[in-house]
Amino acid sequence: MNQQTAAQIVDRARREGRSALSEYESKQVLAAYGIPVTREILVEDSGELDKATGEIGFPLVMKGCSPELAHKTEKNLVRVDLRSREEAARAFEEIRGQVSGAGGGVLVQEMVSGRRELVAGMTRDPQFGPCVMFGLGGIFTEILEDIAFRKAPLEKTDALAMMREIKGHRILGGVRGMEAADTDMLADLLIQVGQIGTDMDAVTEIDINPVIICGSRPRAVDALIALG
Amino acid sequence: MTKYASEPDTDFERIFNPEKIAVIGASSKGTGFGSGMFFALQDIGYQGEIFLVNPKGGTLAGHKIYESIAQIPETFDLAVIAVTAAAVPRALEACRKKGAAAAEILSSGFKELGTAEGLALEEQIREIAAQGIRVIGPNCFGIYCPQSGLTMLPGADLSRTTGPVAVCSQSGGMAVDFANTGKSMGLGFSKVVSFGNGADLRETELLAFFGQDPQTRVINMYIEGVADGEAFFDTLKNVARRKPVIVLKGGLSSAGSRAVLSHTASMGGSRAIWRAILKQANALQVSDMGEMVRASLAFARLPARSYKNLCVLGGGGALGVSAADAAEKYHMQIPPFDSGLRERIEKLLPRPGSSGGNPVDVANPYVAPEVLEQVLCLAAKDARIDLQVLITLFHHYKNTAAMAGKPVREVTPFAELARRVENTVQKTGKPVVVILNNPKRGTDHLDVVEMMEQARREFADRGIPAFDDLAEALEAIAHVNAYYGGKTHESANGCPNR
Repeated sequence: MNQQTAAQIVDRARREGRSALSEYESKQVLAAYGIPVTREILVEDSGELDKATGEIGFPLVMKGCSPELAHKTEKNLVRVDLRSREEAARAFEEIRGQVSGAGGGVLVQEMVSGRRELVAGMTRDPQFGPCVMFGLGGIFTEILEDIAFRKAPLEKTDALAMMREIKGHRILGGVRGMEAADTDMLADLLIQVGQIGTDMDAVTEIDINPVIICGSRPRAVDALIALG
Repeated sequence: MTKYASEPDTDFERIFNPEKIAVIGASSKGTGFGSGMFFALQDIGYQGEIFLVNPKGGTLAGHKIYESIAQIPETFDLAVIAVTAAAVPRALEACRKKGAAAAEILSSGFKELGTAEGLALEEQIREIAAQGIRVIGPNCFGIYCPQSGLTMLPGADLSRTTGPVAVCSQSGGMAVDFANTGKSMGLGFSKVVSFGNGADLRETELLAFFGQDPQTRVINMYIEGVADGEAFFDTLKNVARRKPVIVLKGGLSSAGSRAVLSHTASMGGSRAIWRAILKQANALQVSDMGEMVRASLAFARLPARSYKNLCVLGGGGALGVSAADAAEKYHMQIPPFDSGLRERIEKLLPRPGSSGGNPVDVANPYVAPEVLEQVLCLAAKDARIDLQVLITLFHHYKNTAAMAGKPVREVTPFAELARRVENTVQKTGKPVVVILNNPKRGTDHLDVVEMMEQARREFADRGIPAFDDLAEALEAIAHVNAYYGGKTHESANGCPNR
């Protein structure tokens, strides 16, 4: 864990007067706190694309990446399951033109497979300070609102209680031939999300959606950190 | 650790058990809050000395009224201040100089108005308090303590029987309603505090005090807002480790109020966050005062443990189905008895129509209390059963009364049943909860309503908790289960919501 790295990323963004980190920066902050994130490379120039796709490996995902882009899917800036250099080059041209601003580029990202999508996040309550959220992820987050909160800092029992509390808690078990999710790892993830809120007052909100259970292990696939 | 102890110089003994009280703002005409408090203290039987103060002097019911606080010849423990808002700071300062431990300020006209003048007056109160007098209020109904005979307004008729239940409430009306409801349900109080605007003494410190108070076993809180979220959470978590804390939070909203970027923040409104905070601290959240009083009754009367397997004994509308539905909703079971036990129970009951399984359907509302005792004692032999629920059918005795030409209270065997239930609990070691089921509540059944209240008193006097409705009783017991069951479960999988 390297809290200094995280603080530097947040400080730089604040100096630039920004209200959010890009997905790439957000993941670097999460990774600095030991949260497993997708392997990914930010490509700003088409000349670097082949090297990046070579490192990540096909099939892969490409996403528009900039601090101004909170909701990429709605803006049609996500391409999934790209299987060749040609497809990647075409996707790069389509996305790159729409991404502007400092720190903007195209994120070349490993494609994580897993059918279980969860959400983790942090909000700052006016009375109780940083609070961590856990629940069903992806599009179900808003539709079902099957979520639980706890005030940070979290103890491990709090994190485990949040997992039990959601109605869909059985999704974490070994259902339909899937491996049971590693609840210890998931608990650590939630504890660390709370820790970010406790350590850095400038971080006002965090969304990690989805957290995909890949095999048994959780991984942050998309993330947004808001600053204030 | 956490900020737990109250400020060391606060003498709660002098606040809750004052030997001398000064009522500031008692009119010789006998009107207003000050005089009201004087009469209430006399009626409830407060034995200490009371000094009255009003600049106009005179007497009230033969009691001398001093023209100023300075004129009171001795010091006093507690002041009740009921003068106009603008005159409160001077009165409070005079009480402080006299050496009073605390003042309850009944007057309104402070922060609750939202005006610059109101806010400034409340700030003055806070400044004087900081110099060495604790303040309850302003804009409150005061303190009720059955042991000392201290009462809140209007509380001349509250009970003098002490019990294990403490209440602190931002709303005065809620505090008084709770005290009255508790009295009718046979629930005794240690202390009830209405703290109004909470300029000085408020939720967190009172909670910490109740946590340490040996007379308090169950703590209730009505909260609109907390002054310091961190301190409240730490204290709550600390106190709830040792005593159940039941919280009714007023004014919750589902949506986050600020403009936000993330889904997390938009879903984290006060409703979700308070729910989380209370769960995390192992406190118990209720949604209205009735649920709060019933939960208190369950905590006060039932041994400290969780109850998962019930025997339900009764009759009436769709007993089996409605009991099963209620039990499932609150994560309890009504396990069927084996055939041997079932047959032994059925031998005691009228045939046909009765059923000795579980629930036990007595079929006939006039089954004698003696037989009900025998059935309860038999059912308790099933080792799985940890609590028995007896649904009484007393309202049927209205018909018996009509035939006998006697009042219903004379023909209904509630007193004998109460004795027999008490025996059962002693013999079996398993608690019994009584349901005073009564569909006859209209104006032509006031005699039944009256008899039911007498029955409630009989059970309450014997320490048997009585509820009006099976689902309400199970809801209350579910809070007991959540509290005593919540401490041990750590595993993440396959464990349903408690």
